[in-house]
Amino acid sequence: MKTVFRYAIPYKWPMLIAILLMLLELSVELIQPLLIGKIIDDGIMKEDLGTVAVWGATMLGMAFVALITGVINSYFASHAAQSFGYDLRQALFKRVQTLSLSAFLRFPTSSLITRLTSDVTMAQNALFMGLRIMARAPLMVLGSVIMAFVVNPKLAVFLLAGAPFLAVFLVVMARKGVQLFGIVQRGLDGVNRLVQENLQAVRLIKAYLRGTFETSRFSKAAEALKKDSVHAMRLMELILPVLLFIMNASFMAVLWFGASEVRNSDMPVGDVVAIVNYAMRMTSAFSMFSFLIVIFSRAKASSERMEEVLSAEDELESLEAADNTYHGAVDIRFDDVSFRYPGTKEKVLKHLSFEVKRGEKLVIMGATGSGKSTLLQLIPQMFHATEGNVLLDGRRAEDWPLDTLRGMIGYVPQQSMLFTGSIYDNISWGKQGASLDEIKQAAVKAQIDHSIQRFTEGYETRVGQKGVNLSGGQKQRLSIARALIRKPSVLILDDSTSALDVKTEGALWKALEEEDTTMLIVTQKIQTAQIADSILLLSDGVIVGRGTHDELMATSSFYREIAESQQTEGVMR
Amino acid sequence: MKPFGYEPIIQKGDLSKSGRKKVQKAGNWKSVLTRIWRLIDQQRGLLIVVMALVLTSSILALLGPLMIGNIIDHYIIPKNAQGLGTQIGGLLAIYAGFSIATYLQNYWMVGIAQQTVYRMRTQLFGHLQKLPIRFFDKRQHGELMSRLTNDIENVSQTLNSSLIQVFSSVLTLVGTVSIMLYLSPLLTLLTMIIVPLMFFAMRWITRRTSILFKEQQQAIGALNGMIEETISGQRVVKAFSQEQKVMEEFAEKSDRLKLAGFWAQTYSGFIPKVMNTLNNMSFAIVAGVGGLLAVTGTSGVTVGTIVIFSEYARQFTRPLNDLANQFNTVLSAIAGAERVFAIMDEPVEKDEAAANEILLNGDVEFKDVTFGYDDEVIVENISFHVSPGETAAFVGATGAGKTTIMQLLSRFYEADSGQILLDGLPIDRLPRKTVRSQMAFVLQDPFLFEATVRENIRYGQLNATDEEVEEAARQANAHTFINKLSNGYDTVLTAGGEEISQGQKQLLSIARALVADPALLLLDEATSSIDTVTELAIQEALERLMEGRTSFVIAHRLNTIRQADKIYVMAEGKIIESGSQKELLERQGVFYGMLQNAD
Repeated sequence: MKTVFRYAIPYKWPMLIAILLMLLELSVELIQPLLIGKIIDDGIMKEDLGTVAVWGATMLGMAFVALITGVINSYFASHAAQSFGYDLRQALFKRVQTLSLSAFLRFPTSSLITRLTSDVTMAQNALFMGLRIMARAPLMVLGSVIMAFVVNPKLAVFLLAGAPFLAVFLVVMARKGVQLFGIVQRGLDGVNRLVQENLQAVRLIKAYLRGTFETSRFSKAAEALKKDSVHAMRLMELILPVLLFIMNASFMAVLWFGASEVRNSDMPVGDVVAIVNYAMRMTSAFSMFSFLIVIFSRAKASSERMEEVLSAEDELESLEAADNTYHGAVDIRFDDVSFRYPGTKEKVLKHLSFEVKRGEKLVIMGATGSGKSTLLQLIPQMFHATEGNVLLDGRRAEDWPLDTLRGMIGYVPQQSMLFTGSIYDNISWGKQGASLDEIKQAAVKAQIDHSIQRFTEGYETRVGQKGVNLSGGQKQRLSIARALIRKPSVLILDDSTSALDVKTEGALWKALEEEDTTMLIVTQKIQTAQIADSILLLSDGVIVGRGTHDELMATSSFYREIAESQQTEGVMR
Repeated sequence: MKPFGYEPIIQKGDLSKSGRKKVQKAGNWKSVLTRIWRLIDQQRGLLIVVMALVLTSSILALLGPLMIGNIIDHYIIPKNAQGLGTQIGGLLAIYAGFSIATYLQNYWMVGIAQQTVYRMRTQLFGHLQKLPIRFFDKRQHGELMSRLTNDIENVSQTLNSSLIQVFSSVLTLVGTVSIMLYLSPLLTLLTMIIVPLMFFAMRWITRRTSILFKEQQQAIGALNGMIEETISGQRVVKAFSQEQKVMEEFAEKSDRLKLAGFWAQTYSGFIPKVMNTLNNMSFAIVAGVGGLLAVTGTSGVTVGTIVIFSEYARQFTRPLNDLANQFNTVLSAIAGAERVFAIMDEPVEKDEAAANEILLNGDVEFKDVTFGYDDEVIVENISFHVSPGETAAFVGATGAGKTTIMQLLSRFYEADSGQILLDGLPIDRLPRKTVRSQMAFVLQDPFLFEATVRENIRYGQLNATDEEVEEAARQANAHTFINKLSNGYDTVLTAGGEEISQGQKQLLSIARALVADPALLLLDEATSSIDTVTELAIQEALERLMEGRTSFVIAHRLNTIRQADKIYVMAEGKIIESGSQKELLERQGVFYGMLQNAD
């Protein structure tokens, strides 16, 4: 909880002011009963209208003071709470952005979303409520107890009789609440996850008519969330009745012993009445206690979830914007590289050593699941090699500043991830502040300019989430344009031309020839392999061949098998 | 005025506009509340029990102080110990009863509230399942997700407490006003002076908060949308070092939420303060005017009356206070519920005919079909005919409209003009269920659920046995790699999906289609990420699958389509060439050119 509420520290002044205003308001409120007493005793009882008018006016005046302090408190408390929430969200999002991919993957997307919204709201509400009423209930109780002791310590002791038990009870409930509300928030993660899956797979679900099936799957998650919420809240509902009963029981003790004291010694009846009054005030403050405990335990549960993100131990990545200043092809060397995904046992890449000279095109081929994409991800340091080194221009990838390294790489992932926004926005991801001219150039090279021109809104055409309104090939080419615009030193194409027809692909390779870049291309097509300076064959994470098309045709049965699989009854020849 | 630099959100115009639209807006609240009520009302029995318990606890709460007064007056002051024990015992019983009634009413109310929320959530989700694809195309996933979580949670928090609070406040209010009227109608009238004031104050505040709560929920939805999209594409963010850019965008969205939150919270915070002031005013009025009346000795007001009355006046304002606060909470729930109902009001995909068990032969005909999207014509005047059991291949440049034809055939979208006939029947007269239940798809982007490998394959046919699942996996050449996974068929695939490659995902999604065993098979770039050697190995299985079924195949690798009976070459939304492979080669047209190029 500390880590999270640390983000409230910058707002200590507004918070302090809010608390002071609250105290001022509270004292006004505490004086009011005295004023009422004065009006009744000195005014009405004595039929002195002047006194009634004076004290009445004073009371009204003080009420307005209370109103104004209350209103101002509202501003300060909201300001502190909202700013705290904002900073907390910022910090969480920043942390998510700086986590290395392997640390990032430990948190499911759906859970990160809940942590960034719902959990922040819980902490924020707790702070706001704290600034407005937190001190009120304890002060009210404390004030009443003190007053009771002033009046008659002997009887007042009974009011405290239940206190130790109450304290233990409240602590136990709060602890249990933290645990249960943590489960509730996790349930929310589950709901989020199912909805997200369903939105991503909407076509698949419709195609297989699984709407009912999905609804029943969702019902289960919603049912679990309901059960957990009910469980947590019902337990919390126990607080108030128990609190009240214990309080009322001590109250009965006051009456009983008060009565006997009045009878046996000469304790004034007034003392009993006064203490009864204070006891009644205490009970009314107690209803606030149960409310506060709920708020507190929810906030604590949420804080723990946020702290998991905030303190995810891992080397953090730099947040510098891409440094696009480094241009010109580089030399890439893999030196005995092995790789295992974090948390798995088997190595995906085993002792790879190869070199790609600057400006060369290397094609990587191999069976499905042989480790091609994994190999490519090691270059922009998405993951670090488990053993061995990846070197660019002789320098270990880890030793390059991350922003420079990633800035010089144009990465086209296998799944062309596009974002909501215009086509222009999507291409300019590759280079911030790129001019329309640059964007067009990149689009022309990526063979997508022609298609874009055909859209009525051209480069301003809106792209839906993940590019839903574009064809597979259009998405791939946009994502190639996004990589080309940065004039990369290394261009990584992870099977990113699979949806392109032969003609378009041919034109693309031609256009790429002018680029001063080292290219690593994963492909299935033997034809693409033929344009490469060299081909690397991968099988089960091991290099099983390296050479040009002709060399491999002569030496590698593995390669010949791939080539043969692409010849159909002489049609292609 | 800009406190702490917060730009005011509400402009004068907004209020007068909402003022003008007040009738409509009030109607809107009413309908939202009615709809929530209808959900709650499904548990009327329990609700009545809860209300009875509220009544009980309210009565017991009134009884307590009365008995204490009695004890003080008749036992303590006269120093009478006789029967004091019984009295105190009785009082203790009352308090115990009060605690139990309070607990039970809340216990059941939590159940009612959460059941209502559960219904709302599942109904919304169920409705989403019925919405057309078009609806999803333009929405951010995270924004919709927010409605199922953040917005509904808003309703949840209100329902838990508000209903009980409102009911008990009303009860107390009625009780107190009756006693006040009994004591002095005139003073009661005086106390009521604050009611109109309260009304105006509340109106001033809630006119603002209702706008602000809505804005707040929208802002949180937009933020959720942005977070979901960014985090789902985190690899690309990293690869392009766009962390700064997305953080700026996040800050902007987060700032909008902060702004809305600040004003909503500030204005809501006014309510208890205003109420408190009004209470004091009412007391001052009662004391002042009452005192005057008592002194002048008219209208039967005595000092005693004023003293007792002032106490009741305080009790009168407390429930009003609670009601005012609850009203505001309810407004925030309405803001959430409104967004939920907005989706539930989206028209669902309608089927003219009820689902029935027509077994399709798989005769497919497109007659002059045109379809467009946002003024963009995507396919134009498409006509073709595929007989049962034939395999039709669609080839052509990307963006030529091949996927669109498949999507029209599966009725993801409706044609703008022309007709699609299935077994001679217009497709829009056939229920979607009938059409889709006899089709199996392998879509362009393979999607796997966060579930076991087995469950993912079984998705194609929910009653498939484990043997059938494994057989399909074997045919799809997936069995070997599945067995290499940490838990074989029981390996849970995660969203991060590091465990399997894109090509392996395609293999699984082919296995899924194999399990389905349909009359029509639609393969949209089903093997694009699979290496050609593996593809060759599964080709046989696919060919066997296509035998005797009408199949549609989209592929860029021309050898993938070698077994096609008919090939349609598409360009810019039109079919420009069609025929068997042999015919097309003889014609030496576009297809021939593609093959030449392919070499």
